[in-house]
Parts: sequence; structure tokens; C-alpha cells
Amino acid sequence: MSAQLEIANLHKRFGGLVAVNDVSFTLRPGEVVGLLGPNGSGKTTVMNMISGALPSDGGRVRVGGVDITRMKPHRVARQGVARTFQLVRPLPTLSVAENVLLSLAFGRRRHWGREARDLAEEKLAFVGLAGRGEEQVGNLTYIDQKRLEMARALASEPELLLLDEWLAGLNPSELRIGIDLVQHLQGQGMTVLLVEHIMEAVRALCSRCIVMSAGEVIAEGESGEVLQRPAVIKAYLGDDHA
Amino acid sequence: MKVQTAFVLAAAALVVLALAPLFIPDYWTGVLLGMTGYVTLATAWAMFSGPTRYVSLATVAFFGVGAYTVAVLNEAMPYPLVLLCAAGIGMALALVVGLSTLRLAGVYFVIFTFGLAELVRQLVSWWEVNVTYTMGRYVFLPFEGRHIYWQLLALAAVTLLISWAIGRSRLGLALKAVGDDETVAAHAGVDVTRIKLLLFVISATIITLVGAIQAPRWTYIEPSIVFNPTVSFMTLIMALLGGAMRLWGPLVGAVPLFLLFEWLSVSFPDHFSIILGLLFILIVFVMPNGVLARLEDLRKGGRA
Repeated sequence: MSAQLEIANLHKRFGGLVAVNDVSFTLRPGEVVGLLGPNGSGKTTVMNMISGALPSDGGRVRVGGVDITRMKPHRVARQGVARTFQLVRPLPTLSVAENVLLSLAFGRRRHWGREARDLAEEKLAFVGLAGRGEEQVGNLTYIDQKRLEMARALASEPELLLLDEWLAGLNPSELRIGIDLVQHLQGQGMTVLLVEHIMEAVRALCSRCIVMSAGEVIAEGESGEVLQRPAVIKAYLGDDHA
Repeated sequence: MKVQTAFVLAAAALVVLALAPLFIPDYWTGVLLGMTGYVTLATAWAMFSGPTRYVSLATVAFFGVGAYTVAVLNEAMPYPLVLLCAAGIGMALALVVGLSTLRLAGVYFVIFTFGLAELVRQLVSWWEVNVTYTMGRYVFLPFEGRHIYWQLLALAAVTLLISWAIGRSRLGLALKAVGDDETVAAHAGVDVTRIKLLLFVISATIITLVGAIQAPRWTYIEPSIVFNPTVSFMTLIMALLGGAMRLWGPLVGAVPLFLLFEWLSVSFPDHFSIILGLLFILIVFVMPNGVLARLEDLRKGGRA
């Protein structure tokens, strides 16, 4: 079976700083993989290059066999890649339902009208916002804004979901809800690339992990094993703990 | 209110307005004409600038180009063809301007559009003085005030219809999303550049047509008349007063402000600009989202 996401020799430079240096990895269909690493290691930059937010300085990105390396974000979205943002970014002049409708209207299958409204309600119900479509985004609590962010991403009907610290900032019971949601998606066969700092979530969700440090991949493999490696512990905690 | 009811009411209002010049003195037909012109300008302006929040001060650039096209071509070809040419030129200019400026954000866009209006005015003046050796042109078309008024009324109706249709379409949703957060809109699949450009061109073409239709009214046209920046500011302030995010907002703002400006310019011709500026500041401070939004807040507040 071909890879869902295939990244080959990705590079990104910001002036003199090499943010991403020769990063390669692949995700098989239906896999939930963690992209880990200390702050500034280049995880979000990799996410941004996959989703088209940042042009890469070299390398290739393929999704379902299609080369999306030079595509603009809206075309990447239509290729079946959706993302959430590190800080939630709900659209405040749109209602909760309209936030979701936007992705339905411009996503892969371009739904509109009655059908789109039904689908929006379906996506909202999936993330736990059933019946709240008419509400103002500004009135949502933080966890509900996170839910909306997820619903909006799912509404473009992706095959690959990029979650950029989607679970950050939640309290323990909310975290449980969030992990359940992602597991639910996994059950439906969604491929997920997860940037995450919360190890509890990584252990619960990711079969595999890719660890970055200073712009390079330093470890890759089965989650429990990778997180024990001295190089990984050193990257997170420094020499004394290795 | 049901859509059908709203349409019947709007159609009835349109008929009454269309018949009005047959029963009222010419002076008032002139007032209606000016008012309809500004309703159209403000509605067209808000079509793009309302949801996207790209505040454009280029209104008069397109308005003036429309008027000047009629002044140059009115003896060379039949009138409908002249209007078509004006619309085409407005559209082409909007495409060029849109492609080169819609990357600019916030205040840079405002300044650029203001500069553009001035640039177009200077270019036209320079061309007329150095190439055609004329300064000022005459527009002789067999139109009375009411003929111009009817054309503007039709354009106003079409403009409101377009604005209504956009508001209900996925295009309208995308525009609001772009105004909120371009990055999020793009990642949801919206081709941000194309949508901004499309709306800018539609809006600018209508504005160009307003200038073209109004041209015969002046009889004598020169750059300082048809490229007067006050037109841009008045359009902006009217749309803001009523509410640039709503279908009827610009109309609600344009009608009272036009009457007020008409009265001010007659009663206080020397202080007109100062009063205009003060009003501008007042509206932005007191009702940044417009009268309609304010009324809605008050109603909600009353219920709560």
C-alpha cells in the first residue's frame, strides 16, 4: 500500500537559521503518528510546509501519491489535508455552524445548501457541539473552541489531519475527551500527524513517534521505545538526565 | 421577514421611486439622483470593503474614470456602447490595481488606494494638457435629470440584488472568513487571492458605472471635478454609518448623510470639509459597526 504522507529531504532556512534540515518520514494510511521535539526544533515549520503555509527550500511532500510541494494552502486543503492551529483561530464574525460550513463549501467535495447544513450539524455533533451551530464563536469556552477547530478541519473531509498541539491547554478531564475524539477518528481510518508535548496523549494515541531536535530527525520508531532513548531524553531535558 | 415579502416590498419601493420624478419638482429629482448615486456607491464599496475590511479610498479613481470615459467617447459612439466601454475600462483598471495591491494589508492598502486616486487624476490631467491639448471637456447628451436618475435607480437595484446574492452564496461566506483570518480561510480551501480580486473588480466596475451615468449631469467635466477625493470619503462614511457588513447598511447610511451634506454644502459652503471630518470621527467612535448593528444591540439589550 502506498504511503498517505511522504516527506523527503525537506529543508527550510530562515535567514541564517536552518529550521528544518533534511527531514524525511512517511505515514501509512490510518496511522496516528506523533511529531515530537523541544520548542524550536522545527515541528510546526514541518507542519506549515505540509499544509502549504510556508514554501519549502528543498525536498518533496506527497499526499496519497500526489506531489503537493509547491501548492498553495487552499489547493493542499482540496487535496485532502486539513489542519488545526497551535492557538485556536475561530472566525469570530461567523457563527459556529458557519465556521464548519466554510470548510464544507470549499473543501474536497464542495457541499452547499441543505446538504451542507446537515453535514455541518453532523460534524458539530461528532466533536460534541450538537445543537450549538447558531451560537457566537466568542461565547464558546476554550475546550469548545478546540472542538470547533477540529470540526472545521474535519469538514473539509481530509484523508490526512495535522493536529498542531490541539490538546495543549486542556485540563485533565478535557484532555481525556480530546484523546477519545482522536481515537474515534483513528477508528474511522483517519491518518493523523500529531505535534504534541503531552506525553500521556502521545502514549495513548501514537503507535509511532518521530522526534526532532534543532531541525533534524533524531529518532523514529515505536512510541514507548523511542521515548526511552538517551538521545531523545537528552534533547528534551539536557545532558544530565541522559 | 420572508424573502418573498422582502422582494415584494423592495419592488414596490422601486416602482414608487421610479415614478417620483413625474410628480415632484426638478430640484427634488436632482436630490433623489444624487442620493441614488451615493446609495449605489456605498453599497458597491461595502460589497468588497465590508466583509474583507480592506478599506478602499480608490472609489473616486473608478468613479472619475467612468465619468471621463463618457466625456471622451460620448460623441464617438452610441451611448450604450459608451457605458460598456466605461465598464470595461473600470474592470481592467480594477484587475491591474487588485493584482498589484491586494497583498497589502491594513493601513498600507488604505494609503495605496488614496494615492491611486490622486495618481489617476494627475495622469489624466497630464494627458489632457500635454497630449490632447484640452483641459476640461463637454458632455452633450440629450438627458434630463430624470433620465439619469432612472439609469442610476436601475443600477442601484441591480447592485443591491448582486450584494444580496453574494451574501447568500458561498462566496459571501468566504469573504467574511477572509475578513476574519485569511490564513484560516486559505487552509479551509478558499482561494483567498482570487476571491478578493473578484469582489474588488465587481465593486469597482459598479463604481465606474455610477461615474459614467452621472457624467452628463455636469455638462462640463475636468479632473478636479470628477476626481474629487470627497467622493471617496463620503462613500466610506455612509457605508460605515449604516453598517458595511449588512445588505441595507450602506443605504441606511447614505440617505440621511446625503441630505445632511446637501444642506451643509448649501448652508456652510466654507466649513463643509471641517464638518465632514468631525462627523467622520464621531461615527467611527460612537458606532464603529454602524447604525443597524447598534439598533440590533439595543434591541437585544432591551430583551435581556
